[in-house]
Amino acid sequence: MLIELQNLIPEPIPQKIVEASKVWGTNLRFETNSNILVSAQSGMGKSTLLHIIYGLRKDYSGKLLIDENNIRKHSYQEWENLRKQSISMVFQDLRLFQHLTARQNLQLIPKVNASSPSIEEMTAQLGVENCLDQSVFTLSHGQRQRIAIIRALRKPFRLLLLDEPFSHLDEENQKYASRLIQEVIKANNAGLILSSLGASPALSFDQQISL
Amino acid sequence: MIVKPSFNKSILQTCLQVTSPRKELIIASLGCLIGTTLLLLALQLYQDAQSYLKENEGPKNYFTINKKVEGGALVNLGKKEESFSKEELDNIRNLDGVKRIGGFTRNQFPLTLYIWPTGKIGLGAAAKTDLFFESIPDEFLDFIPEEWDWEENSSLIPIMVPKFYLDLWNFGLAPSRVEYPSLSNEAATGMPIEVFIGKNREATLDGRFVAFSKRINSVLVPESFLTWANKRFGQPDSGDFYFLWKEGAIDGPPHSREQILEMKNEPGFASWEVSPLNNPADRSPISSITRILDKEIQPSRIILEVVDSPSPALLQFIKDQGYELNREFPKQDLIKKVLIGLFIGVIGIGTLLSLLSIATFASSYRLVIAKSAEHARNLLLLGFSNQQISQVFFASFTRLFFVILILTLVVGLSGKSIIIERAREIGITINELVSLNTIFFLVLYAIVFLFINKRVIDRSIHDLL
Repeated sequence: MLIELQNLIPEPIPQKIVEASKVWGTNLRFETNSNILVSAQSGMGKSTLLHIIYGLRKDYSGKLLIDENNIRKHSYQEWENLRKQSISMVFQDLRLFQHLTARQNLQLIPKVNASSPSIEEMTAQLGVENCLDQSVFTLSHGQRQRIAIIRALRKPFRLLLLDEPFSHLDEENQKYASRLIQEVIKANNAGLILSSLGASPALSFDQQISL
Repeated sequence: MIVKPSFNKSILQTCLQVTSPRKELIIASLGCLIGTTLLLLALQLYQDAQSYLKENEGPKNYFTINKKVEGGALVNLGKKEESFSKEELDNIRNLDGVKRIGGFTRNQFPLTLYIWPTGKIGLGAAAKTDLFFESIPDEFLDFIPEEWDWEENSSLIPIMVPKFYLDLWNFGLAPSRVEYPSLSNEAATGMPIEVFIGKNREATLDGRFVAFSKRINSVLVPESFLTWANKRFGQPDSGDFYFLWKEGAIDGPPHSREQILEMKNEPGFASWEVSPLNNPADRSPISSITRILDKEIQPSRIILEVVDSPSPALLQFIKDQGYELNREFPKQDLIKKVLIGLFIGVIGIGTLLSLLSIATFASSYRLVIAKSAEHARNLLLLGFSNQQISQVFFASFTRLFFVILILTLVVGLSGKSIIIERAREIGITINELVSLNTIFFLVLYAIVFLFINKRVIDRSIHDLL
């Protein structure tokens, strides 16, 4: 997926930050199938960027093009399809269903990506296989983060958006997660945009942008 | 990329299942139940009443007229009934909107009936009554019963009375007399009737009620019978006897018209005079009675068929001429109006309640969705479509709505069968439990109800993101 930012400025971002930014108010291209790291301190608009790409925010000026289409013109239906087939995302607040078990959470997706490993394989890889039948409510934040990553990888996608996905993971677990993510992205022939507070995860990136 | 649909519907339902706003849903359901039941009942009963009234309606386009009878009994003593002259009949016949007219023929002999409601054998008693017979041309009857033919030497006289008489019997006479049972149509047509003719009961014939007319307010027998009976038993009435005046003096006892006419060839006949019995001094030339005889005897009561209900012009004519108009069973119009008013009221209340319940359901489901808004929003973010999510809410609404509809049918139909029972007690038969029209309406109503709530649910989900 080719992402192009054309003079994109989110409305709530202060002018000062916009002026200092290498992303806001500039023209920028995220090439197809490339891995992008967006790092910045808190409050610079990392999540905002990912939310705009995912179609959740429309309070911006300028343009954002996905595969040369202005996303502002996407219909409700088109966004439904994009989220179902083409873009998968891990939110900072994970958005898991706390009243369901981890397994139910992993099963509750509109479409399964045939090229992703099974639930058992992935949970084993990330060391959460024993939590599968526990209610998400009872899991630690780190465990939840891993479940959310696996859920995102189970969906079909051409672009994976990860919003601070490792914030509660120790280094070792970050490594396992990174390896799995890299694997699935490769199998899917997809791109990745990952936001981070600063520390660079153990993933290879084609482009690193600091907001 | 190969993708397969995987998600398990039951997980989706579990995910969206949160505590629903019970109180609101119960109120909405109750409102819906009461409103729909009222609508259903009102609609069904309205149709029942309509078809009942239609079946029992006195036709509007038939009515009878006669000349007004005025004054007390003494004044009218000896006065002949006022019959219509040929000119008057022609005038009426030619009025705008009049299709045809027919005259009533009346019996010219005393008549007594013994009616045996439980048969002549056994303990039953006879209802005895002095009565009259009338006949009209067959084409004015609302229907011609099978046994209506009468020929000389027939063993039975077929008699047709207004349906109204049977009602009077059933609701007036029978309840007050142990020996008179209530009668269905069938039972009433089976009763033996003895017909005594003449002051001294010179002849006894058998009769039967063969039908109950809703059109003609009279006791009818076939024209052929009445013509025969009048000829055989008819007695010249007192109005047909005259004092004969020859050269200024009364000549002997009163003579009948026929006797006078037999003297037509006697010398001086043309110069004679006559006067009526009750007023011997009121002399008039003899030609006055010979002229009357030349004319046909004209009826004193006629039946009219008009194109629609009587036109204002016709009613004015009748008033101007001083005729009296009898519309058969005019009360029904009023009953109809009252019923229609009542049903409009009930349908109004039912509609209002239904609308309110639609609104309450709509806001209840907005609440239901609001309570699981967070989950629904997350599902949308995962890529579930609006339809997939609203389907879960709509399915739960549909289940609830169908339970209400079934309850409505149960409550409504039990109500209806109670009403049928009550109606039967007062002699009104309502046949069907529920008509096709009502079912059609109910289906349409359900579709509208479901459609509106589907829209509300879709909108609420749509607005989440």
